[in-house]
Amino acid sequence: MKPNSSSLLIRVPSAAWVILLMMIVFTAINPRYLTLDNVVNIILQNAVLLILALGATLVILSEGIDLSLGSVLTLSGVTCVFVMKRLMESGSSDARAMLVGVLVGLLTGTLMGVTTGGLVSIGGMPSFIASLGMMGVGGALALVLADSTAIYISNPVFSFFGEKLDKSIELPLMQYLSMPTFIAVFVFSLVWVMLYHTPFGRCIVAIGGNESGARLSGVNTILWKWMVYVVAAVLAAISGITLAARLEAADSIVGVGWEFDAIAATILGGTSFAKGKGGIGGTVLGVLVIGVTRNGLNVIGVPSLWQPALTGTIIILAIVFEVILSRWKEGRR
Amino acid sequence: MNLAQVTAKRIAPALERQWLLGAARFIVLICVCAAMTLLTRSEEYGFIFLNVGNLLNIVRNASILIIIGVGQTITLTAKDVDLSVGSVLSLTSVVAAIMLNRYGIAFPVAICTALLIGALLGLINGLLITHVGLPPFIATYGTLWVLFGFAYLILQGAVIYGFPAGFRVIGNGTLLGVPMPIIVMAAVFSLGYFVLYHTTLGRRFFATGANIETARMSGIKVERVVIAAYVISGFLAALAGLVLIAYTNGAEARIGDRYLLPVMAVVVMGGTSLAGGQGNLPGTLVAALIMAVIHNGMNILAVPAIWQSMVVGLLIIASVLTDQWLRRRA
Repeated sequence: MKPNSSSLLIRVPSAAWVILLMMIVFTAINPRYLTLDNVVNIILQNAVLLILALGATLVILSEGIDLSLGSVLTLSGVTCVFVMKRLMESGSSDARAMLVGVLVGLLTGTLMGVTTGGLVSIGGMPSFIASLGMMGVGGALALVLADSTAIYISNPVFSFFGEKLDKSIELPLMQYLSMPTFIAVFVFSLVWVMLYHTPFGRCIVAIGGNESGARLSGVNTILWKWMVYVVAAVLAAISGITLAARLEAADSIVGVGWEFDAIAATILGGTSFAKGKGGIGGTVLGVLVIGVTRNGLNVIGVPSLWQPALTGTIIILAIVFEVILSRWKEGRR
Repeated sequence: MNLAQVTAKRIAPALERQWLLGAARFIVLICVCAAMTLLTRSEEYGFIFLNVGNLLNIVRNASILIIIGVGQTITLTAKDVDLSVGSVLSLTSVVAAIMLNRYGIAFPVAICTALLIGALLGLINGLLITHVGLPPFIATYGTLWVLFGFAYLILQGAVIYGFPAGFRVIGNGTLLGVPMPIIVMAAVFSLGYFVLYHTTLGRRFFATGANIETARMSGIKVERVVIAAYVISGFLAALAGLVLIAYTNGAEARIGDRYLLPVMAVVVMGGTSLAGGQGNLPGTLVAALIMAVIHNGMNILAVPAIWQSMVVGLLIIASVLTDQWLRRRA
């Protein structure tokens, strides 16, 4: 195709334009916005959301949705810290308590995913209603376990996984690196390999594109659909545990609404329903759109009362923009 | 055999099953009532559950669920879903509360404004779905969070108490000895029943939900039908909010949060299928009563509130699974 004036506009994902636009606006209002420190902050703040959003993307690629991811995030964080605290009180070493706690947290996430996935794939329930039910169940379990408050934990080994590296390693430039970012990068590479280089990825994209077509060509749709929800829930558990390490606490309602951010990031990244189209690269951009907005509103000094309404509105408008733009691009091809 | 007879013969088993399921729902209601009567019996007070006051309370609580549920039943009939009802309820009641309490605006104006905003929010949901092309659960889940943000912004985290007596009549008053919420609910239910089963618009909801392409081919303007469903849903959520704050005499930004899961549970328990084209309004009514009885019983038994969302979540899953199972056997 001959390059023309609009080819750049078409090739670059629309989320990138949104990010660029917002960064210009925020920098114009407060020049402190575009400093290395702040950019590092944005990345650290959104590492957890990225892990969660990768799971949401996998589910949406398979033409489903998981509204329970926020609950899974909360519940895994709570069970992890709950067990860790009990073990430390009974005299286990920090490292051992952490290991067991993290394993229990991951196991909780897996069980939630196995249930949601089972309901969707074997039970044949529409995914939004199955996960809505699980959202209620998971949220209630977290509240019960944490007694409706937050459980605080002080375990240096555990906290290490949530902080910037300059707190533990005395080397230059360490203040720009953080464990959550490493975890997010690691998880991203794993999901990348799973999605693009294993039968798992090919099957879920096939299911998302055309489920009965995939089944007729021999894909075990029930198994792979089930697996998508399990993987998404495990990712939610990882993000919940990382968040707990970062906050040094597990709050019983910390994850409320996170599933919306994760789903919004996925759609902003260009993954769309009903076509099996999109991928996790775009999700990174989608997460950045949300992160840049949140951070920007803070830096330019918007009062915290205004933030939920403003962030929500900006995200919805960005989604509308993305959907309309992608339809326009389709038309041009 | 003529066409009418053939059709009748083919529909008969389906109708019979509908009838059986309806009866089954009634039996469940009676069983739940009986169980709660026995469970809450105490030596001191006898059968607390059967107090007239308690029974009226149950129906009053069910009324709110039914008013929202009628809207949700209609959207599900058109194969859509409105997850934003709780936030619409919060935002509209917060607006009404501010107008009444802070600015002393006459209550008919406040009521009309709140209902209008509800309908308008429904319109926005509808447009996001039909004209932007977002899947219903994404669009309405998005508005859920945005609207909550606005409700929070308007109230600035405060709780508002005390409304004029004239306004409180719709939640607190009685007409011929019947509490007003029940009267409002009865009016909404009858009107909803009439619209859904006896008007062209009602038929269009069913047609659109059953098969949107066929409906479009038959000349139905499906976009308008879907938007109408969301406008009705938003309007009714606002109405439920007004009745609720008039009864409790207070409003806060999260007042509607706890309604999303119960309303979904009530509608699917009532036999309205998520597959679309199968609205069951009487089922919603009975299921709302079941839900209210369960809630009431848990309250009397002092089950902590946090367990209740688990019960509701499990009820949603169980009723959809049952629906799915029956559909497969059919």
